[in-house]
Amino acid sequence: MEDESFQPNESGFKQYATSHQQNFEGATPILRTHDLLTIKSIPIKPLFCDTPVAAVDVSSIKIGETETGLLCAIRGAIVWKHDSRYSYLRFGPFPFHITEENKKEIYNLFKHHSFEISEDANAPNLANVPIRMGSLLERWLQLGISCSAHDSVILWDGSLTAGTADSPLNVVSQLLEISRNRLNTILAFSKTTNLRLLGHKLTDLGEKSWPPCLLQINGFPPQSGPVFSLGNVYVAKLTQGICSFRLDIDKEISLERGIEAVQKLLGNDLLIQSYPETLRLAHTFSTFTATEVIGIQHLIAQQYGLRIIARPNIRRLLFGPFGKGSEG
Amino acid sequence: MRLYKKEGNTLQILSFPNDNIEKGDYLIIEDSRVNKKLITQVIDVQFANVPGLLEELLRDSTTEDCVYGEDFDPLKVSSHINHIQDAWMLLCKIRGTLENEKPSVNVSWLPSRSKSGIERFSITSLLAQIDNGRNLPIHIGETKEKSPFTINAHDLDGTLNIVTGKKGTGKSHLSKLLVLGLIDYGATVIVLDLNGEYTNLGFSQNGEKNVYHDKVHVLTPGANLKVSLAQLDLRVMLNILVHALHLPGASTREFRRIWQFLNQRRASTLRELGEAIKSWKCNQHVRDALFSRYNSLLNSGFFTDIATEAVTFEEFFGETRKGGALILNLQDVSSVDRQIVVEYTLGKLVELLGQWKIRAVFLFAEEAHLYLRETYWDDIVTRMRHFGVFTTFVTNQPDTIRENIYRQADNIFLLNFTNERDLETVSRAARVDSETVKSIAHDLPHHHCLVLGKTVKDFPMVVKVRAYDVQTMGQTRLFFTSRDYARAEPQLR
Ligand SMILES: Nc1ncnc2c1ncn2[C@@H]1O[C@H](COP(=O)(O)OP(=O)(O)OP(=O)(O)O)[C@@H](O)[C@H]1O
Ligand SMILES: [Mg+2]
Repeated sequence: MEDESFQPNESGFKQYATSHQQNFEGATPILRTHDLLTIKSIPIKPLFCDTPVAAVDVSSIKIGETETGLLCAIRGAIVWKHDSRYSYLRFGPFPFHITEENKKEIYNLFKHHSFEISEDANAPNLANVPIRMGSLLERWLQLGISCSAHDSVILWDGSLTAGTADSPLNVVSQLLEISRNRLNTILAFSKTTNLRLLGHKLTDLGEKSWPPCLLQINGFPPQSGPVFSLGNVYVAKLTQGICSFRLDIDKEISLERGIEAVQKLLGNDLLIQSYPETLRLAHTFSTFTATEVIGIQHLIAQQYGLRIIARPNIRRLLFGPFGKGSEG
Repeated sequence: MRLYKKEGNTLQILSFPNDNIEKGDYLIIEDSRVNKKLITQVIDVQFANVPGLLEELLRDSTTEDCVYGEDFDPLKVSSHINHIQDAWMLLCKIRGTLENEKPSVNVSWLPSRSKSGIERFSITSLLAQIDNGRNLPIHIGETKEKSPFTINAHDLDGTLNIVTGKKGTGKSHLSKLLVLGLIDYGATVIVLDLNGEYTNLGFSQNGEKNVYHDKVHVLTPGANLKVSLAQLDLRVMLNILVHALHLPGASTREFRRIWQFLNQRRASTLRELGEAIKSWKCNQHVRDALFSRYNSLLNSGFFTDIATEAVTFEEFFGETRKGGALILNLQDVSSVDRQIVVEYTLGKLVELLGQWKIRAVFLFAEEAHLYLRETYWDDIVTRMRHFGVFTTFVTNQPDTIRENIYRQADNIFLLNFTNERDLETVSRAARVDSETVKSIAHDLPHHHCLVLGKTVKDFPMVVKVRAYDVQTMGQTRLFFTSRDYARAEPQLR
């Protein structure tokens, strides 16, 4: 539902990118309901003090197939709001040609940055590489922001779940630590979530509370295994309207500091349907449109002489933003 | 460029701005499988309907105003994206086929969409292809590629032509070019010069006589153009009385008798005519009617009893035997007198042509609706054309020319029009589809002309009309000159 109200066009991508999705959907932990689960509503109010808000988002998209491999492109955007003005820095698009020959090099690149990638020699999965590439750029941009900002609110797209291929534990925890040390607070907004509580989708829980508020969910079973969350999970219902989002806040900071960061966000950024404008802009600036895909195909054909044998269906690309790496 | 779609006679071709295609350009579509090329002409350039573009533009325009930023785009991908966003769809009309380098109008085949190559076809090469011995070239101007554009005087021979365009676009300028071109080849030209614009054709801009000086004869009614009644045919006289002076039927019958009476007595003079009407035995109403017409003839100053003053068209035509123009200067001539003079001239023309005293004349009529009576329009395209009067109508009000004239016109020289109604009128011309007319004429730059019809073998072409060293009187007279303007200082603030 959130999915639809946030961006009706997302479904278009889903159809196209089902193969991409299976992989990271599986990565999100499905929490079972528990007897001791409690939901606490925390009312919040905007804090009007000059706090910069920054957001990072990255998109990856398959551009086509060649005789020897796969073409993809990634693009990232950082948007920040300071002195009531939005600015952005956009990186890319960066087109890649992933082939059997350069696959090894790419794996090494990921390894070097602690990213795991299935390296089953018998069934090499090139299809995941674009998303992994996007994640790599995303982490790099997040690192840049964490290191350069100070006493700011930093918005991520996604969750603080770590231990998956896109979110290596040491990478995410390092990012959180750097941020903490520079008095930044990372707020990770997921547009949709597969977390369910008492049979409801987590993000549907906000329905009976007055915005702006955070719903704190206590009593999740202790996580085990390689995949777990480095954040406390909230449902953020920040404006009137039907939307609410899953919000992850660094576990290592105090509840008060976390709440304060949300209040600063409320006081400094525009929120539309519970979603911060800065993050929406980052999303907008990074996602690819149909013409951009054709334009990149044009570049590849013209400058690298690569013949594209299978192209993604442009009709599908029509449905606006898509190609999101770590979200559904 | 790629062939995209065909609907009827229209092709859609995908192109990019760096192909530099403009309206009016010709493209050739070559299908390597068959040894044939399709000749098409671009009649409109539109943005290609790139999927999702609207969303993209909306996205950009909503963020543009409030968000500032920078792009780190080392591979310059954005230029390729802009390239796609700027894609053009060329609307083209099929004009013919080039088979073994010979143009023909057979277009019953369709080139392959995937295999065809599309190239620009320069007007220069097209002109070369359709050239069937341009042995009497009239230099009109230059093509887009800056090569000379000529038409063949043969293609004006025996034809009906229209020069039209909105005010001040250069219709008279182009008509003068045609007039001089025809004179060059020994033709006889008559210009019905409403504003006295052609009177200086024999002078260059610096006021000196030019090569045409002896071939351009300016006839100003009442001044150097006066005729005697004796040389007037009764039929012409009746035309003047009935059509220009609206003499009622009964009086016309009486006049006929008076005229025959004077003729028998060999006393066809103005004075005798006046006396005859005075003393003629007839109804007083008739007499009054006749007398008032008589006074009109008298006041026109066009008729004279003085033998030395009177001239004849026979003489004038004698002078144009080796090529020349008679400029009938109708400037400052009242509307009634204008009609008298035109009735006389056309009547005389038909008479002389009928007697084979002249071969044929090219008649240029500026704003003909101001002096040509209703019945002449049909006459001009039928009877008079057979006699050898080949007319070119020049007007900025296309709706004053009848639809059947557009349909029968052999050549149309179309200058810029922006008014939809005017374009609609002109687009009725049979020589070309109306979309071509509307689309191309609407955007013609200054001094550019779309040539349609026989002279271009029905391949419509845009030409930049050349300037020439002839003193022109075409400039619109203005009250404020630039000098006044510079001097002026408003008193009121
Ligand atoms: N091709 C040309 N090159 C240079 N000058 C030109 C050209 N065409 C027209 N002119 C000049 O532009 C002015 C207007 O041209 P012209 O009188 O022929 O226009 P028009 O269409 O006949 O105007 P109108 O509707 O008033 O009769 C004239 O001064 C003429 O000399
Ligand atoms: Mg004129």
